[in-house]
Amino acid sequence: MNTTTAPNLLQRFAARVTEASSTYLEVAGWQQVVEHAGGYSEVVAIAPSLAAAQPEVRELLEAAGVRVVVPDGDDPAAEVADVPVAIVRAEMGVAESGSLLVSEHALGDRVVTMLCHRLIQVVAASDIVDRLEGAAEWLAARNGQPGFASLMTGPSRTADIERSLTIGVQGPDEVDVLVLTATDPTATTEDDA
Amino acid sequence: MKPFDERLDTALADDNVRTGLTSFQRGWRESRDTMIGALEEQEGRSFDELRQEFAAIKDGVRDNWDHYIDRFTANATAAGATVTRVGTPAEANEAFVRIARDADADLVVKGKSMVSEEIGLNHYLEDVGITPVETDLGEWILQLAGETPSHLVMPAIHKRKEQIAELFTRVLEREFPPDDIDRMVKVARTELRQKFLASGIGLSGANALIAEGGSIMLICNEGNNRMSVALPPVHVVTVGIEKLVPTYADAMKQVRLLARSATGQPITVYTNFVTGPRPGQQQHILLLDNGRTAMNEDPDVAAALRCIRCGACANVCPPYGVVGGHAFGHVYTGAIGLVNTEFHHGIEEVAGPQSLCVSCGACAQVCPTDIPLPMQILEIRQDVVESGAAVPGGRIAHLGIGAFGHRRLVDLGFRALGIATTPLRRDGVTKIPAIIADREPFATRVGWRSPPAIPVRPARDTLKRGKLAEPTPLDAQPLAGRRVQLFLQCLSDRMAPEIPIATAKLLRAAGAHVMVPREQHCCGLPAYDAGEQDAARDMVRQTMQTLEGIDDVVTPASSCLAMLKHDAPHLLRDDLDGLERSQQLAGRTYDLISYLTAGPGRLPAGSLDNGDRTPVTVHRFCQASNTLGRRDAIEQLLRDVAGVPVVPLPEASECCGFGGSTSVRHPEVSAGILDRKLGCVDRTETSILITDNPGCILHLRGGVHASGREVRVLHLAEYLAGRLPDATSADGSPDASTNGA
Repeated sequence: MNTTTAPNLLQRFAARVTEASSTYLEVAGWQQVVEHAGGYSEVVAIAPSLAAAQPEVRELLEAAGVRVVVPDGDDPAAEVADVPVAIVRAEMGVAESGSLLVSEHALGDRVVTMLCHRLIQVVAASDIVDRLEGAAEWLAARNGQPGFASLMTGPSRTADIERSLTIGVQGPDEVDVLVLTATDPTATTEDDA
Repeated sequence: MKPFDERLDTALADDNVRTGLTSFQRGWRESRDTMIGALEEQEGRSFDELRQEFAAIKDGVRDNWDHYIDRFTANATAAGATVTRVGTPAEANEAFVRIARDADADLVVKGKSMVSEEIGLNHYLEDVGITPVETDLGEWILQLAGETPSHLVMPAIHKRKEQIAELFTRVLEREFPPDDIDRMVKVARTELRQKFLASGIGLSGANALIAEGGSIMLICNEGNNRMSVALPPVHVVTVGIEKLVPTYADAMKQVRLLARSATGQPITVYTNFVTGPRPGQQQHILLLDNGRTAMNEDPDVAAALRCIRCGACANVCPPYGVVGGHAFGHVYTGAIGLVNTEFHHGIEEVAGPQSLCVSCGACAQVCPTDIPLPMQILEIRQDVVESGAAVPGGRIAHLGIGAFGHRRLVDLGFRALGIATTPLRRDGVTKIPAIIADREPFATRVGWRSPPAIPVRPARDTLKRGKLAEPTPLDAQPLAGRRVQLFLQCLSDRMAPEIPIATAKLLRAAGAHVMVPREQHCCGLPAYDAGEQDAARDMVRQTMQTLEGIDDVVTPASSCLAMLKHDAPHLLRDDLDGLERSQQLAGRTYDLISYLTAGPGRLPAGSLDNGDRTPVTVHRFCQASNTLGRRDAIEQLLRDVAGVPVVPLPEASECCGFGGSTSVRHPEVSAGILDRKLGCVDRTETSILITDNPGCILHLRGGVHASGREVRVLHLAEYLAGRLPDATSADGSPDASTNGA
């Protein structure tokens, strides 16, 4: 997964992400991610797994004057209920569908992506794969563990009333997909492949 | 659930159902076709190849079902889940309540689960004092309204926004304007959020069980399913054992087909893979059989276990578009519901709904797992007939089909009817005296379609050797020296003789020697459609006998060809000799259009161009499109050979409402389908409607006449014969007429 990303793979990924009603953005490193998040809110939630793996994200946010919530207490849902902005790190992006594979075993990780209004999904350009089978390989290699992985494709939506499409239902209203274009060394510290 | 008759009456009385569903079906079709087209391009393979590949995976699982169930169970257990196999709905409900009692839970948040509907879980829970809360927006709306889903994927699709706004205003005690769908959608978030946080159990279904890894695949768009799974301390999965796939890669193949076929999206917003409980949580998986093993043992219906619950079969179903899922189905709606209901809920529950199927074959075209639904539904229909379960019009149909098997009786009957109704014959229809026509239930049940004029003499009389003048030969003689046996088709012989007569004239003008075997009667299709397979077999055999020989057989009725080519081999699958003979006959039998385009009777371009440029439109007989795979052959022939402009008919291949025996058993449903068809004809602004199946023609003419439209409905043969050099009228039979206008 550390091979150089073919430019047309990234283009296709970007096109699918946009079609899924997400916002697509390429960033050089986490500093830019933090600036993006801080531009929307003074309170930002970070998935506990991300906070643990990359403590610098929290530091960067706090340095920018943002209050950071990491829901790792007894009642994580209460900690992030309706938080305006949340950041998660995706394991991979899938160009075929514009999906982000997010692994979120602990409740704290899950509530972040479920209860926020704007979800920022960060993925390394080198972790973008061509087809859904790439995600299948990831899952098969781990035998389904650690236990909860989601392919997320755009903000939540429904068409249950007269087939009229409404974006932003029970999950996030806005999703920003930020692709780390790999020059920043911290962008790949979490890579385990 | 209320009895079928009541559900049907309620649906027919609610105009919202029909208008809403027609618009839904049209919108869905467009998005689905676009999405499937894009998928074919992306994969470099056809939809057929893709669905057959996935179907083979699903079939492979059922061939080694126990192995995959064991493998899934072992892997899920290793991941921390408790897997329990349950046989019946009662066992499933009891197992669920035990889990709830152990967890001391009295509130259950539910993600969408058709299995929970199948087992009637909500009622069961309420009876024992546990409160289930639906969290999918559509399901929640229905729960507030006290209703059940009418569609597998869009549960509240039968409801208009005005009805939902009124419901919310009443239940939530604040104002909801019907045009503010956004506000209605968002209220679910605020109303349901606290339920998620307070509930002791989260229930979900599963879109797939992945044996490798023991994972559950669960898709959703709203995000509610994720919360039902994650937030409560106990997660219970209710799922049918047919949902197994071997690997994650197989699940991805399902993903590619599912959302495109369900909602016309490339992929749903969330595709979750859940393997065991989260830390601090319990997970229970209830694997339900409830008739699935029995279904797998019945080769006629086993393939229905491939179903991935996308709902596509309902979205193209003409009667579903008129009555919706509360009548067209039981718990499971749409075509698939007409098959699996017998196994999950018993034959009595499917007896009514299955009688609505028009056998148009549209469902099989869009099914992403290639289930032969139309054929399976006819097997179910036969089961219903044999079981003696009460079915609308069942007794009359049985007697009618029995009598129809006797050719001489039918001959005499129609001749007598022709004589008796002579004084009532007007404009090609039989004019029913007002004293009867204006009375109910006649007015509602029959008034929408004027009955055809019944001639005193059938086509076979007019076509006796030497009775019909030799037509002036065409310049082109593609059929010179060929002997053709004309298969008249039982209906047109006696009710629209102008159709076989025109066919004979056309074939003769092209050089053929046309013979009309005297003993011919009926191919058996009406009996097969009525679930009377023994009678159908007798009629197929009688037809094979009368058409023996080596000559080409041509029929003006594509339905008979579909019967001989497609259905007869299925009916005769246990009679090897009969099967071989039916295949030989099918091999030399043509409907007129294929004889004139792909067969020996190919006419050169312009050979029937008489200069008339009045535009026409073409209704494509549904079974010719869906079963025989015909596309625009008629349109092409009309343009090239007759030189006439053809205006494309919207929804050209959709059934006109005559299919199956729906127009007899459920005239109001048939009338609704016909109305949609004629509405499409109006949009073409043409005054000539051409098609090639006599049943459709009689039905369309009756509807055109009854609604006072100025449209001539012609069989292709009549239209073409009308352009022969010596043609005086479009038909040429003295006692026949061609339109109702």
